[in-house]
Amino acid sequence: MFTLLAIAMCFSMVVAFVLIRRLQDKPWTQQGVIEGSQDGLTSSAPKVGLWTFLGVVTSVFLVFIGAYFMRMDMSHGGVAMGSMEMRDWVPVDEPWFLWLNTLALILASIAIQLAHGFSSSGAGRANMRRFFNAAGILTMLFLIGQVLAWRELYLTGEYSVSSAAFSFFVLLTAVHGLHLIGGLYVWSRAAARIRRGLEQAELHQVARLRQSVQLCATYWHYLLLIWLVLFAVLLTT
Amino acid sequence: MAYVAIADRDHEQDHHDPDTFITKYVWSQDHKVIAIQYGGTAIAMGVIALILSLLMRLQIGFPDTFDITPYQYYQFVTMHGMIMVVYLLTALFLGGFGNYLIPLMCGSRDMVFPYMNMLSFWVFLLSCIILCISFFVPGGPTGAGWTLYPPQAIAEGTPGVDWGILLMLLSLAVFIVAFTMGGLNYVTTVLQARCRGMTLMRMPLSVWGIFVATILGLLAFPALLVAAIMMLLDRTIDTSFFMPALMLAGEATDTEGGSPILFQHLFWFFGHPEVYIVALPAFGLVSDLLSTHARKNIFGYRMMVWAIVAIGALSFVVWAHHMYVSGMNPYFGFFFATTTLIIAVPTAIKVYNWVLTLWRGDLHFTLPMLWATGFIFTFVHGGLTGLFLGNVTVDLPLSDTYFVIGHFHMVMGVSPVMVLFGAIYHWYPKMTGKMPNKTLGTIHFWMTFLGTYAIYLPMHYIGILGMPRRYYSYGDTDFIPASATGINESITIAAIFVAVAQVVFFINIFWSLRKGEPSGHNPWRATTLEWQTPDTPPKHGNWGHDLPEVHRWAYDYSVPGDEEDFIPQNHPIKPGEASVEG
Repeated sequence: MFTLLAIAMCFSMVVAFVLIRRLQDKPWTQQGVIEGSQDGLTSSAPKVGLWTFLGVVTSVFLVFIGAYFMRMDMSHGGVAMGSMEMRDWVPVDEPWFLWLNTLALILASIAIQLAHGFSSSGAGRANMRRFFNAAGILTMLFLIGQVLAWRELYLTGEYSVSSAAFSFFVLLTAVHGLHLIGGLYVWSRAAARIRRGLEQAELHQVARLRQSVQLCATYWHYLLLIWLVLFAVLLTT
Repeated sequence: MAYVAIADRDHEQDHHDPDTFITKYVWSQDHKVIAIQYGGTAIAMGVIALILSLLMRLQIGFPDTFDITPYQYYQFVTMHGMIMVVYLLTALFLGGFGNYLIPLMCGSRDMVFPYMNMLSFWVFLLSCIILCISFFVPGGPTGAGWTLYPPQAIAEGTPGVDWGILLMLLSLAVFIVAFTMGGLNYVTTVLQARCRGMTLMRMPLSVWGIFVATILGLLAFPALLVAAIMMLLDRTIDTSFFMPALMLAGEATDTEGGSPILFQHLFWFFGHPEVYIVALPAFGLVSDLLSTHARKNIFGYRMMVWAIVAIGALSFVVWAHHMYVSGMNPYFGFFFATTTLIIAVPTAIKVYNWVLTLWRGDLHFTLPMLWATGFIFTFVHGGLTGLFLGNVTVDLPLSDTYFVIGHFHMVMGVSPVMVLFGAIYHWYPKMTGKMPNKTLGTIHFWMTFLGTYAIYLPMHYIGILGMPRRYYSYGDTDFIPASATGINESITIAAIFVAVAQVVFFINIFWSLRKGEPSGHNPWRATTLEWQTPDTPPKHGNWGHDLPEVHRWAYDYSVPGDEEDFIPQNHPIKPGEASVEG
């Protein structure tokens, strides 16, 4: 309950403070075109769109995490009162190679950042392609690692869906994985575009490409952050 | 300078219209077409929900007269509620009016991501189809009540437990995907595609309402998504997120330790902001209707914007007032009662400002104005009963009675619908180029306005008597006096009366489309940008060759010294025009 309340507070603060700076104008006193105001569609629109989407993603995971803790408290509370054994919450003993997966995702994030760094200079484009591809492959490795973790836990035979701890483990990693798969779809389209000859590309296409690499980088860093938080949450079992 | 519409000035035509019928009307990426698709689908869903409510009322008003089983009754209740809240109101305000008005009022050519906008509608349609399929599957749709509380929603014995609940949860998940695609567009368009001179604080309040409601939706719908996913898993593979240890028909289930209360928290964490997802666009639209038809600037524009933002922010910290009877810690009850009552402050500011906008205005009782003033009545009414229910001690005895039904139908059923009709009549000339018929519209208004009062006012009374909601039949219950039976009959008759009134609306809409008087570009003599387009209805790209340029706020009505009683936002400042002191 407190968790959910804290999330709610965050939301309401976001809603209020993002806007509050702009809300001081007295429009009835201002006349004429205000200089410096935007003029039609801006080039940063995709970036704003992505950040808005990341807001939604954040909300999904925060609510999941809130539910995780509330459900865990419920079980622990039951045990404390001696009313039942903790069959419905068998703490998950995470496989060691989850740390390796985490490393892969961190490397993916670094690679995509490097790709973005190389995208600005003409000479670095080959490097950009290399690092961009590496980021995708590392992410796939991460996903394979996650599936292996499920398999490992399943094979121990200690966990079943009647333990909410295990259900949460699978569900949260799956939802995070789905977000990465969505990212990989965008990545594959950008990677294909990079492959189709950067050299001949027109200037505005290069700018577009740079922007997609940049957007991918932002998304990857954010999903890495979410994974780190999720991992910490899942270790608290 | 006299008023000259952009249409009457010289300009080059430069449209890139989609050329085939399919790209123009079906797979269209034009926000106006998508808006009408969204609106049409939402209204069609609303008609289904309206018919369901009549069936439900027939059973309550005249028990055992019609061939309605308890199973069916609960299915009608559930589907009526869910369709009205999510598939009609949310979709029509945001998908319909949001799509139509945001680019036009902000001076943009279209949404920022038109392809995603198109997908948003088709995915929304898919969610509606999935929901409607549940009427035809074995066992029928779910009868769990629109709140879908577990364990009963997924336990044997509840109507639609086989397929209905699955389709409902799936449909909601699909709807949320559709909403997210649309919502990203609305937010990004408002932030990134406004024309020159259109600062945030020059946006009409309609855009403000829709904008903040969309942010609420984007943050709140995930809670419903998470709840729906977890309940789907509970139902399909027997996880126990929400399912506690249960004895069903004498046998223990496999589940253990799950928390039904957790679902309630998740549901209402979405459910309460949802009230404002519906209400904030209504607040915004009605502000513009009142100002335009009272020929007066909106009273306290800045405070109106602040109030919208404040209500949006507060709406995230009040959800548990729907759960006072769930056995919560009294301190939590106190906290949530306090936050709930605090929301009354910005809301009251808005009501005062609407009334003060009317005060000494040059009121024109056009069709939109009728509905807008009707809204003030119904909203004050519903809002005041909300103050009763916000208090824990008053809520406890009234919980799950018809008082609650009366309250929320008045505040988030009738009131937003009043605004919807007003807004449809107001923007109909822009969408079609024809005026709606005033006589038919007036008949529609009075039948609906008086009829809904005849339905919901008595509900408060029978609620105080203690008549519980969601009962299929009351039988000879001691504490319910015989007079309540008579009241129930009259409520049902009033409900039929209101439903018939909606037929008048449809006749008007279709008749006016063919035979209505041509409206011209700006029949209401309004200031906002959508009335200044070169074509009516606006063509693809909205603005012809050049984007408009905004020179003033949206409410320059009856400016002293001006020969017209309105100055459109895109009219340049005249030499010698007085600068207003703030």
